[in-house]
Amino acid sequence: MKRLLYRWFSSFSAFQYRLDRRFTRAGSLALGVVGAAIVIGLDTNRTVGYQVFTLVLAFVVLSAVCSVVFRGRFTARRILPRFASAGVPVTYRLAITNLSGWRQEGLVLLEELTDPRPSFEEFVTAREPGEERRNWFDRQVGYPRWAWLVSQRRGAVIAPRPLPPLAAAGETEVTLEITPLRRGHLRFQGVTIARPDPLGLVHALKSIALPQSLLVLPKRYPMAEIRLAGTRKYQPGGVALASTVGDSEEFVSLRDYRAGDPMRRIHWKSWARVGRPVVKEYLDEFFVRHALILDTFTSHLGDPVFEEAVSVAASVAVSMQTQESLLDLMFVGPEAYCFTAGRGLAHTEQLLEILACVEPCRDKPFRSLQHAVIDRLDSLSGCVCVLLGWDDARQELVRQLEALGTPTRVLVVGARGTVDRLPAYVHGLEVGRIAEGLACL
Amino acid sequence: MPVTVPPMLLGAAVVFWGWQTGFLLLAVPLAVLVEAARALTWRLELSATDFHRLTDLCTLLIVVSGIYLFSTTGTARTVDGPRAMTLLFQWLPVLLFPLIASQLYSTSGKVPLTAFFWALRRQAARAPETRPGSVDLGYLYFALCILASSAANRRTLEFYAGLCVLAGWALWPWRSRRFSPLWWIPMLGLAALAGYAGHVAVHRAQQVVEQTVFDYIFSMVRGDADPFRVTTAIGQLGRLKLSDRTVLRVDHSAGLRLPFLLREASYDVYNSPAWLASGALFSAVQPEADGETWKFAAARNPAQHVTVSAYLNRGRGILSLPGGAFQIDRLAVVGVQRNRLGAVRVEEGLGLVTYTTQFASDNPLDGPPVDTDLHVPPREAAVVDRITAELGLAGASPTEKVEAVAAYFRRNFRYSTWRGERPRRESALEEFLLNSRAGHCEYFATATTLLLRAAGVPARYAVGYSVQEWSRLEQRYIVRARHAHSWTLAYVDGAWRDVDTTPPVWADSEQHDASFFEPVRDLWSFVTFLFSRWRWSEDETGIGRHVAWLLIPLVLLLVWRLYSRRRVGRDKAISRVPVAIARPGQDSEFYLITERLHAAGLARRDDEPPSHWIERIQANDLAPILSLHNRYRFDPAGLTQSERASLKSQSAAWLRDHERDSTEATAAGPRHD
Repeated sequence: MKRLLYRWFSSFSAFQYRLDRRFTRAGSLALGVVGAAIVIGLDTNRTVGYQVFTLVLAFVVLSAVCSVVFRGRFTARRILPRFASAGVPVTYRLAITNLSGWRQEGLVLLEELTDPRPSFEEFVTAREPGEERRNWFDRQVGYPRWAWLVSQRRGAVIAPRPLPPLAAAGETEVTLEITPLRRGHLRFQGVTIARPDPLGLVHALKSIALPQSLLVLPKRYPMAEIRLAGTRKYQPGGVALASTVGDSEEFVSLRDYRAGDPMRRIHWKSWARVGRPVVKEYLDEFFVRHALILDTFTSHLGDPVFEEAVSVAASVAVSMQTQESLLDLMFVGPEAYCFTAGRGLAHTEQLLEILACVEPCRDKPFRSLQHAVIDRLDSLSGCVCVLLGWDDARQELVRQLEALGTPTRVLVVGARGTVDRLPAYVHGLEVGRIAEGLACL
Repeated sequence: MPVTVPPMLLGAAVVFWGWQTGFLLLAVPLAVLVEAARALTWRLELSATDFHRLTDLCTLLIVVSGIYLFSTTGTARTVDGPRAMTLLFQWLPVLLFPLIASQLYSTSGKVPLTAFFWALRRQAARAPETRPGSVDLGYLYFALCILASSAANRRTLEFYAGLCVLAGWALWPWRSRRFSPLWWIPMLGLAALAGYAGHVAVHRAQQVVEQTVFDYIFSMVRGDADPFRVTTAIGQLGRLKLSDRTVLRVDHSAGLRLPFLLREASYDVYNSPAWLASGALFSAVQPEADGETWKFAAARNPAQHVTVSAYLNRGRGILSLPGGAFQIDRLAVVGVQRNRLGAVRVEEGLGLVTYTTQFASDNPLDGPPVDTDLHVPPREAAVVDRITAELGLAGASPTEKVEAVAAYFRRNFRYSTWRGERPRRESALEEFLLNSRAGHCEYFATATTLLLRAAGVPARYAVGYSVQEWSRLEQRYIVRARHAHSWTLAYVDGAWRDVDTTPPVWADSEQHDASFFEPVRDLWSFVTFLFSRWRWSEDETGIGRHVAWLLIPLVLLLVWRLYSRRRVGRDKAISRVPVAIARPGQDSEFYLITERLHAAGLARRDDEPPSHWIERIQANDLAPILSLHNRYRFDPAGLTQSERASLKSQSAAWLRDHERDSTEATAAGPRHD
């Protein structure tokens, strides 16, 4: 039954997509009038609604006939920015070249994104936020869930854009604006040039394959920098890790080579002079290093709490000053990851790129994150934990961090009403009021 | 691409609607109101809640109007009169006018989608940050006016011409600029011609379909007796089961002698398993002066009367009448027809008819016997003659013959609706008469008719209902579908008499098979009957007349709701300053401190959180005040009274301690973040 519903929804979505592309707004309205006139004029003895039906149907059919042939030939080139941010409008350019030997005008540009329909597995396993409050029929049939999944996967809505007249063999460039709806890759499939018929009801279409991708960074909220009362920690990597962070420029002495010393520390001149390997020694292995720990352990796809947690993590990453210190972004995906940003290593935008692609972890326990953090704790000055709840496992992590003397700031993101009873040292952030919560930090 | 309706189009559509529906006097001011919105500069500032109320009001208006129309159009005498639903659709442009007017005269210029869907309203209430969007009703209202005009059913060329003009007007702004108008105009003309040919073809097609299929399907569903032919279940295997549905209601002031038979039709030719009516063409009966009395013969004395209520299918049907009916009173139909076999057919009546039949002992409705009333089919002749001979009916009077046959069946036969095996060689009737000697009423009636004929008594096969159940709920006799019965008409002593040889136990047998849910069904049937009787009542004092008064307070409510909104000028609306919104905590004393610091040249930067600001200016003593201020300002739970007092006193203390230019600072007063 579920599979039957899935196929029905899938077919209906495909039909609606084709209908939207093929008909102009006036054409859609005409179709609606045709449907209403069928109902009104079903009994031709009672009303003359059937006259409305036949007239409007004649309009639509004539328009459709005129849209069968469209002899235009075009190429397209899309110039995308490097990044976009979720919820922030972004503009990009699209150049269209007319390859046909005559002037083209009155055309409309339709952008094509990849198919947003979810797979059957996603349809069955996903849970729409607030689905438990829906009525029995909606829960069983699942159309609201389907619509939500499609909207989640669509990424952006791009309105049709009228094209300026195109001279024969000429090129024109248009600017399009989109507002990405969610983080991740926004994948373009191609563009379609649409030509309305003389009545303006039906489009004749000419599609051009133009696959491209735009990385959409997570949504960020303005917030003050989180200042942790941590101390500098010994960093085994030293200069190799961050050449200019900490006290790296202070040369201390030369000493004999010991097994395991990196090659780059060999002082070649001294080796030549004394005849044995000599290495340089620096007073460099102490500097500030913070960890941003992101909790990815949620069982639901597209969980809004998780999405907001990613946004909070992105906001924290952006707000932290990495000129003077390092920031480790730690989370668990298919395996435990740790990405370090800071002067000389990576920039914050690279952390945002990573956060743009973070997916929920549904096959590992929370303890795997705890182990990853504890393994690196010796080198960490402080931690910012962005958690999705405040259960025993998460409390255990925070307790352990505090027991080991690591200054920790805990941010718990939750749905409305779930973050009211947190301890004083835990900062609760409600979905829908995240900006407000971060402003109070 | 155009998104708004071109000037004058909406007004023209409203006038067109008024012209077609006969509401021109109402349509003209509405059209003026619609188009005046372009000239007037003032606008109403309507919130989403106001639109919700307006939509609810429109819905209420539609419901009340529907009830009113449904109750008052029930008195339409002919089936071709407009139905309540059609009239309601004609009224829709008026009933929904508040909505389009609110859009045209509102500052937003669109109607939020939440106004139309409860689910979106609930979603918006749960998550105010999600805005479902708005819709421009302009073209939708235009389409509604056109469709409502079509519901007026004015089959004139003017309608179609007006339709083409308005459609062309609406399509003109949407035309593709790629093509010259020289393309557009012929296409419009071609579509108009195609539409015209199409609607002529569609109408003719419907007429053909109506003639061939529609009546057939309805006749199957309704199950009215066919006065020309009835197919019996003689010879069918399995159990005969009929419905519990109440089909007739019978009132008789003096009480009936049960079972009382109500006949629908009679037949004279048997061609197993069907009975046919030969030469039974219908002829019209002329009504008396009151239009509701129909006489079939001169009045008899003494006469009895019985009142029957029955549903008609699309105003047509065969009446159930007692034997000996000579006059029908209070029958509100346009046409009544009868045939020589006593069937009475009515046409163009209401959905429910209640009529009183006067009847006497003779049977003036039935024509005199003819040769076919004595004909026995050759296939059954052998067995029938054999039994007639066994009974020794030769030489007996017709009355004795009838009694002998009745006694024969009473003694030797039993009632059964079950038939398990098909006879090998004999006909079904032969099997009934010779072997099984058990069957249902059709067997008894058919066998009796043929036996009487073989004995020389003219006889016919009659079908109808047996009245036998008194309803304590309704305080009248009710007749169910399972009470359908067949019996014999025998011509004895110059009149047709009902001869029912089916054993009386058949009624008990049918009752035994009644459904468990029969009482519930009876209650529902009674309620439906009462409603139908009220709906189809011709009483002018029905409450339907007063439903219209309900519209007055609703319209007054609408006017009050609209008038009580604050009106703003359109120009002002464009350039107006943001409306001050009451935010919690805006009277916080912390703002006095910020003013003081601002005056002292220590103003907070726009991008600077207050906590950083006080840190930067090294005013750490403000931290507890800021904490209280933040909670007062942003915490949904707010501050307790003591905390509020604390914020006030701490702020006052700080201001006292940092007294510098108090008059200037305090004059500024609180402001927003």
